[in-house]
Order: sequence, then structure tokens, then C-alpha cells
Amino acid sequence: MPGRALDVLIVEDEVLLATELEYLAEEVGYHSVGLAMSSDEAVDLAKSLHPDLALVDVHLRDGPTGVEVARKIQDDCGCVALFMTANVKRLPEDFAGACGVIGKPYSEHGVKTALAYLAVCLEEGQAPGPPPVGLQLAPAYAERWGLTELPRSA
Amino acid sequence: MTDYLKSQRASDQLAAEHGIDDPFAAAIRATRMAMIVTDATQADNPIIFANDAFLRLTGYARAEVIGRNCRFLQGPETSPAAIGELRLAIASGEDIAIDILNYRKDGSTFWNALYLSPVRNKLGEIIYFFGSQLDVSDKKQTELHLRETRSDLEEAVEARTRELSQALEQKTALLHEVDHRVKNNLQLISSLLLLQNRREKEPAVKHSLRGMLERVNAIATVHRRLFQSEDVERFDVSAFVRDLVSDMAGSANREEISVSLDLERVDVPASKAAPLALVISELFSNALRHAFPEGRQGHVSVSITRTNGEFRIEIADDGVGMAEGARTSGFGLTIVQLLCQQLKARSETTNAEPGTRVVVNLPVNGAHH
Repeated sequence: MPGRALDVLIVEDEVLLATELEYLAEEVGYHSVGLAMSSDEAVDLAKSLHPDLALVDVHLRDGPTGVEVARKIQDDCGCVALFMTANVKRLPEDFAGACGVIGKPYSEHGVKTALAYLAVCLEEGQAPGPPPVGLQLAPAYAERWGLTELPRSA
Repeated sequence: MTDYLKSQRASDQLAAEHGIDDPFAAAIRATRMAMIVTDATQADNPIIFANDAFLRLTGYARAEVIGRNCRFLQGPETSPAAIGELRLAIASGEDIAIDILNYRKDGSTFWNALYLSPVRNKLGEIIYFFGSQLDVSDKKQTELHLRETRSDLEEAVEARTRELSQALEQKTALLHEVDHRVKNNLQLISSLLLLQNRREKEPAVKHSLRGMLERVNAIATVHRRLFQSEDVERFDVSAFVRDLVSDMAGSANREEISVSLDLERVDVPASKAAPLALVISELFSNALRHAFPEGRQGHVSVSITRTNGEFRIEIADDGVGMAEGARTSGFGLTIVQLLCQQLKARSETTNAEPGTRVVVNLPVNGAHH
């Protein structure tokens, strides 16, 4: 990955998933700055750590608050969220300002490919190609990253 | 002269003009339709003639109605709007037909289909009003009953619909909840396997863990696809194979092995999706792992076709072939054999020279409801 490592915050209430996700993110060159299990923790950590990317599960310790987290951290400090959820269909149409979603259950390869792809998008402001299988981009970000036709992987 | 006497005289005069041999007068006296005549030339338009049918209908004696304005038929429940319409018609000298609630002498009510029309003299002046009354209480009752029944029915249907959509909403929520948990648990299982694999040093154990991870992933891929379509009972095998093969090929990180897909759209019942996924995953994994040892270049093709009565799944490689390739993954092959039994499928492995071809034939019957 070019340039400095991107800081990633993991927002996930299942600690085993979160731990493994941290390894996967580091393996593709991210720097993991922390783990939040509730919406308050997520918002506080985002404010103090200013991560480049937050991997956000929709269901957190305090309920289905992940969608709000995505919106809030984007407003607070411009941190880009990426949803990781089993309920892709329940996300709001505008993705609450998040850049996209990886559907659970994801595979090791799927997550790594998606995160590596997003690192290029975030650093260069331009997608290196259509998103890999398993990653669905929010319409606003697909446009921002130069994907005129939105290839949906679903 | 009192009003009554005046009316009595007008009545007598009317009777005199239409004697006993006047067939029209006789008809009006004897008809079963209640009828009255009022004197428009007198103050307050009093009744000067009422036939027997009118007296029977209202319960009054003739002496009690002659000389009175017919508003004594109205009561507290009579619609003011209907009274207003009646007054307006009389004032403007027009005829009117209206259903109005009237009262009998004993206080009981009846629905009166009233028809009132002015009678003019040669100069065009209104001298009488002619009124006929028909008791339509039965019709009104039926109408009311119908209206009530209909609105009761509508309410009942609405209530039932509400109940049903609530029940459906609950069921849907429950389904989503279960689906969500299944997916999360599959994610948890694969995370556990990955975590243990990170710690494990022993190559043989790592190999086993990788194998299990691959199988869990195959099932996870099924579940990711399972509720994506509207039809929760059918499962599109071709879409699933595309996901699975791309994930496995990418994960193998063997750029020297190319993969081609030739997939016809084929649906199976959702219950067969997981076993079928495991079979395909094992066979494709076998090809990737054993057909091209030591960085050997090659090609794997996966195709699904529909032939008469069967789905044909073919996984072929141009690798080292069965004899040379160390196909030692005994457990994987056992899984394929067992699941083919379960799916009533036939699996056949042949030497493709070069390479190996595995064909699985799956009966369509049983795949269709």
C-alpha cells in the first residue's frame, strides 16, 4: 500500500470477530488504532483518534446503533465508515454517509481484498476498478471515486 | 269562522264537486295508498281531505286531521334538513318526493315516502296541494340493516387484515433475526478457525484448520446469498458458484492458475444449497491444491449445464492428473461421497488427459417442488 498506513477503528461487539478483523486489516497494511463495542465508545474513540476508516457493525452492545455511529463520526471528524453487517438490506439508501458495506459472513480473502481496494480509493480519491466481490459501494462514494456505472456485486 | 269549520266547508265543497259517481274521487277514497289534499288558499295550508288509507297509516280519526297543517306528523327525530326541503318546495310551488321520518298518533314512527305536488286553477294559481304517503319503513330498515352489516363486515375484514399483517410482520422480523444470527455465528466460527490457525505452528494441523475454514466459508457463502432474493425457498447455484470460485481462487493466491466459468442459471431448493456448496467447494479446492504442484501453470474450468432431467456440474483441470497428483485429501473425498449420497447425485472422476475431470450429476426432480 502506498504512503503511510491508514488508521482503522473497529466498531464491533463480538470480540473474536473484532480481533480477527484487526489482524486482517493489519495484514493488508492498515494500522489498527482501537476497538469500540458500543456507539458511545465508537464516537468517543473516533473523536480522539481521528481514524481514516471505521469498520462498523450495525448491531452493537447498545443495540442497532451502528447506522447512527457512521453518520456521527462522519459529521464529527470526517471519518469514513464501512459497514460490516449481516443485514445489508436494512441499511438506509444513502448508507448513512458510509462508503459501503461488506456483507457478513465475509471470507478472509473477501475482507482483505475489499480493504486493500478501499485503501487505494481513500488515498488516491479514485477507484482502481470496479469493487471486488463482497464489497458494495455507497452510490455517493462510487461517484466520488469515479465509478460512473455502479456495478453491484449482489 | 274557526279554521276547522273553514276547512270542513272546503272539504264539503270538494266532496260535492266530486260526487259518489265520480270514478276518480272513488279511486282516491278507496286506494290503499294514503292520500291527502290541503287547501293552499287558507292560512297555514290545512288538510281538507284525507282518505281512509291515510287514517289507517297515521292512526288518527278524520276529525283529528281536517283543518290541521300536516306538520303534526313530524317529531323530534324527523330530519330538519328534510323539513327544510319540504318547506322550500311548497313555498316555490314545486313538487317534491322525499323520504321523511313521521310519527303516528300513538307516537310510533314510520318512514314516509312522501310525494307532494301543487294543484293549480285555470289562472295558474295554486289552490290545493296533493300529497301521497307510502310507508317505506321496511325498505329503510333493510337499507339500514344492509349498511350496518356491510360496515360490520368491513370492520371485521379490516381487523382480520390488521391481525394478519401484524402476524406477518412479526414472522418477517423473526426470520430476519434468525438469519442475522446464523450469519453472525458463521462469522464467529470462521473467526475462531482463523484465530487458531494464526497460533498453530504444526503444518498438518494448520492444513486441517484451513480445510475446515474452507468448508465453513462454503456454507457462509450460501447463507450470504440465501435471503438476498425474494424467493427464500430457491437458491441460484450459478450465482453462488461465481462467488465461491472467485473467493477460493483469489484466496489460493496462484496467479499461474487460470479459472474459467460456464454457468447456466440453475435453481435448487434452499435445503440442498449447503450440501451442494460443500461438494463444489471440495472438488474445486482439490483441483487448486493438487493438480498443479510446485507452481505448475494450468487451467481449471467449472461448468453447470442442464441436461434432460439432470444438472451437470463439471470441474476439470489440465494439471498432473490422478496418478501423479497426490490426492491424499481423504476426508474431502469422503465428504463428497457422503453428500452425493444425500443429494442422490452421481459423481464420476475421469482422466481428462491431461488432468482430471469430475462430473456430478444431480437429479432435477426433487430439485423442483
